[in-house]
Amino acid sequence: MLEAINLTKTYEDGQLALDHLNLKVEPGEIFCMFGANGAGKTTTINLFLNFIPPTSGTALIEGIDVAKEPLHSKEFVSFVSENVTLYGNFTAYQNIDFFTKLAGKRNLTKADYARALESVGLQKDAFDLRTKTYSKGMRQKLGLAIAVIKGAPNILLDEPTSGLDPKSGQEFLNLLIKMRDEGNSVFMSTHDIFRAKLIADRVGFMKKGKLVMLKTRADLEGEDLTELYIQYMEEREA
Amino acid sequence: MLKDIIKKEIVETITSAKFVFTFLLCAALILLSVYTGLSSYKADQKEYSTAVGLNKRNLESQANYQSLAGLGTKINRPPQVLGAIASGVNEAVGRVASVNVAYDPNLIDSKYESNPVFSVFGALDLTYIVKIVLSLFAILFTYDAIVGEKERGTLKLMLSNKIPRDKLILGKVIGGFISLLIPLIIPLILSLLIIMVYPGIALAGADWIRLLLMFVMFFLYLSVFFTLGILVSSRTNKSSTSFLVLLFIWVTFVTVIPKLSIVLAARLNPIPSVHEITAKKDAFLQQIQGGAQKKVMDWIKENTPKTKEDQATFQDKMKKFLEDYQQDATSQIDANNAALERDYQLKKNSQVRLAVNMSRISPASALTFSTMSLARTGLDEHERFLASIRAYKPVWTKWANAKMMRNLNFGLGTTPETKVVLDDMPQHTFEPETLGPSLARTIPDFGLMVFLIIIFFAGAYASFLKYDVR
Ligand SMILES: Nc1ncnc2c1ncn2[C@@H]1O[C@H](COP(=O)(O)OP(=O)(O)OP(=O)(O)O)[C@@H](O)[C@H]1O
Ligand SMILES: [Mg+2]
Repeated sequence: MLEAINLTKTYEDGQLALDHLNLKVEPGEIFCMFGANGAGKTTTINLFLNFIPPTSGTALIEGIDVAKEPLHSKEFVSFVSENVTLYGNFTAYQNIDFFTKLAGKRNLTKADYARALESVGLQKDAFDLRTKTYSKGMRQKLGLAIAVIKGAPNILLDEPTSGLDPKSGQEFLNLLIKMRDEGNSVFMSTHDIFRAKLIADRVGFMKKGKLVMLKTRADLEGEDLTELYIQYMEEREA
Repeated sequence: MLKDIIKKEIVETITSAKFVFTFLLCAALILLSVYTGLSSYKADQKEYSTAVGLNKRNLESQANYQSLAGLGTKINRPPQVLGAIASGVNEAVGRVASVNVAYDPNLIDSKYESNPVFSVFGALDLTYIVKIVLSLFAILFTYDAIVGEKERGTLKLMLSNKIPRDKLILGKVIGGFISLLIPLIIPLILSLLIIMVYPGIALAGADWIRLLLMFVMFFLYLSVFFTLGILVSSRTNKSSTSFLVLLFIWVTFVTVIPKLSIVLAARLNPIPSVHEITAKKDAFLQQIQGGAQKKVMDWIKENTPKTKEDQATFQDKMKKFLEDYQQDATSQIDANNAALERDYQLKKNSQVRLAVNMSRISPASALTFSTMSLARTGLDEHERFLASIRAYKPVWTKWANAKMMRNLNFGLGTTPETKVVLDDMPQHTFEPETLGPSLARTIPDFGLMVFLIIIFFAGAYASFLKYDVR
């Protein structure tokens, strides 16, 4: 479970990037966060990973305050970054092997890695290639596989679908659904309204650091999410 | 976990094109420099023994002691085998000194004198390779150690795991250092092998110790740049910035500080020019010579025998007088020159010491001076050698004067022309510096490097704990 309580971040230059965020992502739930560029989505994720200290408020992973027990909390979270390039000189196997070991899983075999890489839709003949030859989407998939294999009950994804082709995007959604059905909490920041709507259990709109709208799947039944998004962004502007 | 990070760091580095390139270049440069260093030592050695033999033959072939005293004997500087690794001031200082009755001996005819263009480039010895090329490699290996991981997003990915930052930086430092050592140690071991098998080169036990200590200094020097690289890399947010900052520091260390300290020392501690000293020496010489003629005339006037029968005793007396007079004049000149020289050397040495000590805040200078000391090719050894020649000069002059005066021939046919005999000629001896003092002189350099490594590493460590990984 992921939980933010009055989570606030003001950067050193005075920029209020996150303003009293209160949010809970339950086990077995996919939460999608929308918002314009600079709205505060990445800031939220960085706070959950304790990459930056909160100005006030608390971020909890499985009930653990990440600012107080950062190392402990990281046992329970997987992370997919928006711009991970990984080690270009390493093959997919080498990359996944390194990060899996860092995650504390020491007894996985090459077959396990292959399964994880397959599950994210990476083509088999690329497993042994150096990742500097990869396309953006292929790197994205590898990053995803690294998160999948860690098997943590909470997953934080920062714009994970941005580089995926339609088929891979679809496979990716299936993967997220599978993870949710296994009882994981999924928090995803995205601009991809179309895909998010297919899988989100709840969505939030973020604007200038504030969570301005929160809707469940039931609320969204029959609604045009794109319309709603634009409406929200403009409405509050006035 | 630490092991995984170390392993990843090593594998990542040694599978990169950068590493292959570095390794090949390192190996080529190190082996080339050691090989050429050794062969030029062999050439120097041959030249040295030729020169020594030539000098001996030259002295023996003199017709009489008078021309021998005027010509003087030549003292050649023996080459130092470790000069092959650290040539120091070898190429810049003279290789031979003429010891004769008239002039103060000085070492002349350096390699740079005979081929000035070499001085522009300097020697391509191992010290130079380490100082310039390998330190650049150390920077190349580390400038993006931290900031590069940040740019690739791997730092965030690593730290999304249960891994403490101190372990991460430690793993990166250890792994990075091992990968830097590989392209260094393999060629160094090979070069040790070359030294061992090179025909006609035999290092004494103490020389091996000196050589190993030089390698220790190389290793510390590169560690300074390695830790500096990690430090800068963990204090910048772009790898291009990190590289520029490091390049700037490198230039400052390697060229700016050493050159600036020489200029600064000359300003802070000016010394009289060599010409001034020479002029003073010449003035005194002329004064003595001017007085000589009159004194001899006076003596002759006073002692000229009244009868023809006294002629033989007169000649003996005159010989005695002339010898004593010559000895007296020479020793006066020697004493005066020595005093002037001592004063000048004292001033010069204090200036040099100031420059050396100021430049020593740069690890590049510290490396240069320490390896020079260890190779016995430094300024101190040069000064010691020069001092040994200067000490030899009065001894030799005394011998030459005595020989010359006792065998003076006034053309009266009473004394036969003597062939010169060198059996009792005093020989110049020089004891190369022992390990103790050489070692003592390198302690500040050793200390400085260890100090910098600790500071840089601690700085990198502290910076990384607070590093903004986003
Ligand atoms: N280090 C920083 N210092 C100051 N301000 C920052 C810093 N990082 C982010 N910000 C500001 O915080 C706000 C939120 O940024 P954030 O990266 O969270 O946006 P985002 O929602 O992820 O945007 P995008 O969709 O473009 O990824 C922005 O206004 C940004 O300018
Ligand atoms: Mg973002």
